[in-house]
Amino acid sequence: MSISLRNVRKDYDQQTKVLEKVSAEVQTGEFFVIVGPSGCGKSTLLRMIAGLTPITDGEVRINDRVVNELPPKARKLTMVFQNYALYPFLSVWDNVAFGLKARKLSQSDVQNRVNNALKMVNLTDFKNRKPRELSGGQRQRVALARAVASDADICLMDEPLSNLDAQLRIRMRQEIYNLQRKLGLTLIYVTHDQVEAMTMADHIMVLNDQHVQQIGTPAEIYQHPANEFVAQFFGTPQINILPAKRSAENSHLLTVGSNDMQVALNEEVPADQLRIGVRPDELTISRADSVDSNAVVKNTEFLGNETIVYATLNSGDNVRAVLPGQVNFRGYEPIKVQVGSHLLFFNNDGERIGLTKEEAVHA
Amino acid sequence: MLKSPATHSSTAPVTSDKAKSKAERSESGFWLNAKDKYYAWIFLGPSLLILGVFIFYPMFRTLYLSLFLTNTVGKPTVFVGLSNYINLLTSADYLSSLGVTMVYVLAVTVITIALGLILANYASKQLAGIGIFRTLFSATMGVSVSVAAIFWLFIFNPSTGFLALVSNWLHLPQINWLTDPGWAMLAVIITTVWMNLGFTFLILLGAMQSVPTTLYEAASIEGATPRYQLFHITIPMISPTLFFVSIITLIEGFKSFGLIDLMTKGGPTNATNMLVYRIYKDAFYSGNYAQASAESLILTVIIAIFTLIQFKVLEKRVNY
Amino acid sequence: MKKVMAFLKAHLLPVIAIVVVVIGAVVYTSAHKQTSAKAGRTPIVFWHEMGGPAEVALDQMVDKFNKSQSKYEVIPQYQGAYDEAVQKIIQSHGSNASPALFQSFDISTAQMMHSKYTTPVQKFIDEDNYNVSDISPVARSFYSNKGKQLAMPFNTSQPVLYYNASLLKKYHITPPAKSPSYSDVTRVAEQLYKRSHHKVKGMTMEIYGWLMEEALANAKTSLVNHGDGHVGNPTKINLNNPTTVNYLKWIRTNIKSGDFVNYGSGASAETNEIAAFLAGKLGIFVQSSAYIGQLTTDNPNKLGISYFPHPDGQKANGVGIGGAALWISNDKPTKVQKGAFEFIKYAERPDSQANWQKATGYLALNSKSQSQPALKSLYAKQPEARVPGEQLAAAKPNDTNSGILMEGMQLTREMEETAMETVYDGGSIPKALSNASQGMNTNLKTTNRANNDYQ
Repeated sequence: MSISLRNVRKDYDQQTKVLEKVSAEVQTGEFFVIVGPSGCGKSTLLRMIAGLTPITDGEVRINDRVVNELPPKARKLTMVFQNYALYPFLSVWDNVAFGLKARKLSQSDVQNRVNNALKMVNLTDFKNRKPRELSGGQRQRVALARAVASDADICLMDEPLSNLDAQLRIRMRQEIYNLQRKLGLTLIYVTHDQVEAMTMADHIMVLNDQHVQQIGTPAEIYQHPANEFVAQFFGTPQINILPAKRSAENSHLLTVGSNDMQVALNEEVPADQLRIGVRPDELTISRADSVDSNAVVKNTEFLGNETIVYATLNSGDNVRAVLPGQVNFRGYEPIKVQVGSHLLFFNNDGERIGLTKEEAVHA
Repeated sequence: MLKSPATHSSTAPVTSDKAKSKAERSESGFWLNAKDKYYAWIFLGPSLLILGVFIFYPMFRTLYLSLFLTNTVGKPTVFVGLSNYINLLTSADYLSSLGVTMVYVLAVTVITIALGLILANYASKQLAGIGIFRTLFSATMGVSVSVAAIFWLFIFNPSTGFLALVSNWLHLPQINWLTDPGWAMLAVIITTVWMNLGFTFLILLGAMQSVPTTLYEAASIEGATPRYQLFHITIPMISPTLFFVSIITLIEGFKSFGLIDLMTKGGPTNATNMLVYRIYKDAFYSGNYAQASAESLILTVIIAIFTLIQFKVLEKRVNY
Repeated sequence: MKKVMAFLKAHLLPVIAIVVVVIGAVVYTSAHKQTSAKAGRTPIVFWHEMGGPAEVALDQMVDKFNKSQSKYEVIPQYQGAYDEAVQKIIQSHGSNASPALFQSFDISTAQMMHSKYTTPVQKFIDEDNYNVSDISPVARSFYSNKGKQLAMPFNTSQPVLYYNASLLKKYHITPPAKSPSYSDVTRVAEQLYKRSHHKVKGMTMEIYGWLMEEALANAKTSLVNHGDGHVGNPTKINLNNPTTVNYLKWIRTNIKSGDFVNYGSGASAETNEIAAFLAGKLGIFVQSSAYIGQLTTDNPNKLGISYFPHPDGQKANGVGIGGAALWISNDKPTKVQKGAFEFIKYAERPDSQANWQKATGYLALNSKSQSQPALKSLYAKQPEARVPGEQLAAAKPNDTNSGILMEGMQLTREMEETAMETVYDGGSIPKALSNASQGMNTNLKTTNRANNDYQ
């Protein structure tokens, strides 16, 4: 049950463009996450796959069959909504059975499927309750059970965890992941939460500004982001983006900020003017006297196993650094900030350029 | 009345609040101190006075009158106990009025709600120009009883009315809508339904539009046809509103007066002589206040019973 | 809507204040208008139930009266339908909202008498030595009890038989006699139906208790004991008598021969029978003389009028009247009551009555009205308009043609009509009549019981 998107476009009217040139291949049994900030069109894309929203241009294929004109029920998929779309007047059992009854399956078939699905999500004891008598996580599981019971191979989920608290979200993340693996579902999962994307996805599609920014595995996305947006979207605290330029004297020498740091590369710096990306845990910080220092500490946040240091470079750029363990700094204490071996290069349009590999950096 | 299901489903912890407020109440208790009592009477006074003068006194007066015979000038003279009631309930004439009223009320309620539901279901679809239809369907809400009666009297007119013209044109036998005992009831029902429809439609439309669209989307993905969705999503979801509308329509039906007075005056041959119209005629035509009082109380009891039945039967299906 | 609500919220107090002031002003001016009388004149509030053209004619009569003298000012106030007005009059009695003079309809006579809320006009007739002999005796006897005049008849009509003279001529049918018998009417109806090849229905009789009561009156049969209530308060009703049976059998004969058409009961029946008559699809019908205006102005055919039919082998006793009378309330000072009677006298004058008949179709009650210019010009244009007046003048009053002086006549009529309906639909005549009798007697007993310790 593969899904393929080819140059999909969505306009609401002549002026309002929602999505443009969206192409992707989703393999059978894959956990595919569509991620992006709110308003990027990710839910719209999911609804177009489901058939709830018409497609302006391009093709959606399921198993190599163009389904643009097919009604939702003919696409043989299920969908889990953000608000779960449970029927408040039906019991848990009847909620799960709703679609099966609508499709006029035999009574025994309905019985079996519903009972199995409820068992799978551990809701058998709650089958006679009404949705309002359930907690948020239980309601979420009813929605999952509905998807399970339907027996479709493709499952679409639209921000299914966003109404849950943080603890529950982590648990449900695992349950969904296990369920997907167990049933071999082809799952397309929409979220605005980069952690969900990173933890569950086989492949991630990053959407922003009506366009696909990048498609790749979590590791590829994190390590080789296609642009500044992707780099900034993943990872907490956010990646540091700093202006840099090629040294006039030495084309292998990179000057960061206004001469705050200098990094020697193995090869030529790819552009005169550029921006570098450094993950906060790639920055090293050492105490220094005011002569040696290139920054001052603004603030620190102690998280138990690590400390986040917020500092301002002499150039005025702010940086975030993650240091292991507990580190104490006074306010406005002068420090020396140094970049590590992992550097990303972006041109002034935010596109990644040149090498990103650690080999580029002189040790 | 138009509570969205969202608010319904989010009221889980209510029970504890209730228990708490109950406890508070019993603490302060029934035994107020003198000063509190003084304030209580001051605050309750105006509304008790208004209720007493305009509700309680007339009610007890009606009960009192119904146990007497009233003379020429409407004064109670002979105490007869329940015999006014017994006479009524054993009179074929009154029982036929009762039957006629039941037929009318049930027909009006069922047809109004069925039509309202159908129209609202169409109007709740997002289609081009649907606003025009919504306005049209709800237009009768602004029509007064007298305007509706005159409008339909023109339509039913046996010689120049629209229906007469149509049946003439189609070479169908002419129907004496308002003078034939068999048809008059139908004519009155049609007019009432027409008049009620705007309000019912608007209320049901409002309820339908507050149903979350994801319910329908989920159902359509799961393979439910629009018809299946109407009966298994829309109707259960708007059942509190349906319940409200059906009670209102039913009670309004029992109270129908203006239309009857303007269109048929209870005729022909008592075919549309509803209970309320009968009360009016007995009291204000014949001056038989005792009997009219007894009829009023019987009608009150009937409406109460119907409302109670509706509550009992429907609350099971409604409450989710 | 939202804007309106917002506006109301913002300006609630001023809006309420304005509304109160406006309502107050309207109430004040209307109240002022209703009760005001020119300085020095005694106001006489007069409640009546005349709508439409009759109200215009009545207002003119009142206006003329007010101009004719300077002591009183009659203030007419329309009160809606007859039935409801009776209750308003009774329930407002003794309050300052009650009228000094009021119009109340024929079948409320016993009720008004029993209420003891009025001063019988006999008192003023005696005081003034007012000569009533010019006023129609049949009409007077309707509103009198044991020789005492309770109220003065005012708007008065009688049922007459209308026929389409042009159609009769066309089919060479001899018109019914001036005072026709049942069989005479049947003859005309059957001939018309046959000779028109069933295109014209012969006749109809509306399902209307008044008509059946008039049939009893014309056959000198009382419906209730104690001389139809004129000798004493009625205690027994007998609808199942040979006269009623005979009347219904006559109708049934016509139903059987197919010349009869049933238009049912109520105002719509009257509208429909008149429409059919004017359209030349109905030959004969019996109805109030008050319709004469309508039947002459819009009629392409020549209108014929006869008296109300009487049973075969029997002389017509004359029919009673319909309409309403003028009553004087006893809750007003003598001066006001006298003023009310002054107006009554004015209303009964030959010229007033002649103008009244010309304008409304109600019959002039004063025998001297016939020579008034208003009626002379009317008769010159419509000679047949004489006939109802002649019928009225011909009747010698007795207990059976002076109306039924009994309370609860509205209900009695309803029961009469149910019985007629049953018969028209083919039901048994004696059974329908005895059922109705039974219901009426039960009702009468209750009424008498309720009134017992009051009277």
